[in-house]
Amino acid sequence: MREAFSNVLVQLARQDNRVLLLTGDHGYALFDEFRKSCPTQYINAGIAEQNMVGMAAGLAGLGYRPFVYGLAAFVPVRVIEQIKLDVAHDDRQVVFLGDGAGFVYSHLGTSHQSTEDISCTRAIPGLEILSPCDRHEMVSCLNYAYNRRRSVYLRMGKSDRGDVHSAPIAVLEPGRLLKVRSGHPDRPAIIATGSMVRTALDISNDIDATVWSAPILKPLNAADVCYASSSAACVVTIEEHSIYGGLGSIIAEILSEHAPARVLRIGVNDRFSSYCGSYQYLLGEHGLDLPSIRSKIMSYVKV
Amino acid sequence: MKSDQPPVDHNIGRKHFCPTRMRRTILEMAYAGSTVHIGCAFSIVELISVLYRNYLRYPENNPDAEGRDYLVLSKGHGVMAQYACMHELGWISDEQIKGYFADGSELKGLSDSRVRGLEVTSGSLGHGFSVGVGIAMGLKRRGTDQKVYAILGDGELNEGAVWEGVLVAAHHDLDNLMLIVDQNGFQAMGSTEEILKLGDLDDKFQSFGFQTAEVDGHDEVEIDTAISKLWAERTGKPKALVARTVKGKGVPFMESDNRWHYTRLTEDTFAQAVEALKTSRDQL
Repeated sequence: MREAFSNVLVQLARQDNRVLLLTGDHGYALFDEFRKSCPTQYINAGIAEQNMVGMAAGLAGLGYRPFVYGLAAFVPVRVIEQIKLDVAHDDRQVVFLGDGAGFVYSHLGTSHQSTEDISCTRAIPGLEILSPCDRHEMVSCLNYAYNRRRSVYLRMGKSDRGDVHSAPIAVLEPGRLLKVRSGHPDRPAIIATGSMVRTALDISNDIDATVWSAPILKPLNAADVCYASSSAACVVTIEEHSIYGGLGSIIAEILSEHAPARVLRIGVNDRFSSYCGSYQYLLGEHGLDLPSIRSKIMSYVKV
Repeated sequence: MKSDQPPVDHNIGRKHFCPTRMRRTILEMAYAGSTVHIGCAFSIVELISVLYRNYLRYPENNPDAEGRDYLVLSKGHGVMAQYACMHELGWISDEQIKGYFADGSELKGLSDSRVRGLEVTSGSLGHGFSVGVGIAMGLKRRGTDQKVYAILGDGELNEGAVWEGVLVAAHHDLDNLMLIVDQNGFQAMGSTEEILKLGDLDDKFQSFGFQTAEVDGHDEVEIDTAISKLWAERTGKPKALVARTVKGKGVPFMESDNRWHYTRLTEDTFAQAVEALKTSRDQL
């Protein structure tokens, strides 16, 4: 997934010299190829994220196409006001790349973990939010972001969960859910995003659930969500993000307005990580490991 | 005309941007809108009038011209002074001045980038300067001689993001960028000295790698000479102009009285302020 990310970024920069990559002194080997191929389009803005986003706004105003990279804990969360005022307010064509979202930095503690970035960004008018689940969605999302005429936040979570899609996605249309498994209509429909789509697939065989991936969280088509709900017993959302304001909230908002249905929101509850450990350990601490998710779904379906 | 720049081509002579008339415009706006921040606008009148009269190039008097110079009002609280300049240029009508803050009107109480002629959305402090750094970087990449001026309040220098931008501007040799500090010595709740000491600003900017000058921010000749000299010395460094100013300058009962950061005009104080302006030496 990260290789796909690097490849697309390099490709975009090669074909369009207005593309600039700004990083807040993060990225390490991820940008080796970019720095080699397009050295003049690479700007390390220093450990100074607020200024980096303001700069990106200024550059975008002149017609440059900045991709602003940071860890999701910093870009977008630390710089949320710069994104709102300097970038989104003017629909500047800036793409924010928030890496390591969720519990990727499982050993480093709360400062590097990001489970509130979707909530923080989605109330900003006009700002779109992408959350790819594998390399195929990553390729589509980056190209999609580049072609939008407004500001985009692309959330990058755990990147080594393996493929969800078996082939490249032909066209990523705004707001569409992607069906990744057909299940029984009497069973739940699972709508997941990012790293949790792979998890949803892993669980779905046991319960014969239909699984949908949501690579675009904003905008999200109400019709797609209603359709997913109408052909299932209930809806389950899974995300490596707070249950407040993320995918679960988005789905629940849409359904409560258009087609009331039971929605089980599985994600991070209202708590920080208490301990450190492997990624799998942290998922377990937050009840996002396979057995915990399975048992939450089973007990909800039984009710 | 400045030695190292093509002529300013809006072709408006020295009779324009007269500080007294600009202060009168500001008073009219503030009274019409029953609004605040008069002191913040008054302290930058001479600075901004010199910039518009002698430096800022807007080809064909077009605020959106691709080849323009950029004035970033990072201290968005002074926006009425910029409106007054835009009024002089004909970009803002008399009706807009008289209808300031009317329901559904466009001109807001702080700088807003959606208004033609304003480059940034500021007022949340420490934002505009970074946008200016990005513009300066982009212009250098373009290889043009366009310039960026950013006006910051001294209170605004409390914001850490400003110093991020200062580091970056120096690191990238943005010698097309001029940071102008409106050093009026006050911020919202009191003097900068009592709230958060700034120390010697000239020393600070020099130590950050800027080429600096200090001026009396109400002496137009001094301002003009200093800006001209800063551009003429080709050191490759970004520029900082530290302008000592008086908050509320021009109306004696407002000068250095911080209540005029947040006090609204009454019929009486409006009349008194207008009367006080009539005694100014640069009266047309």
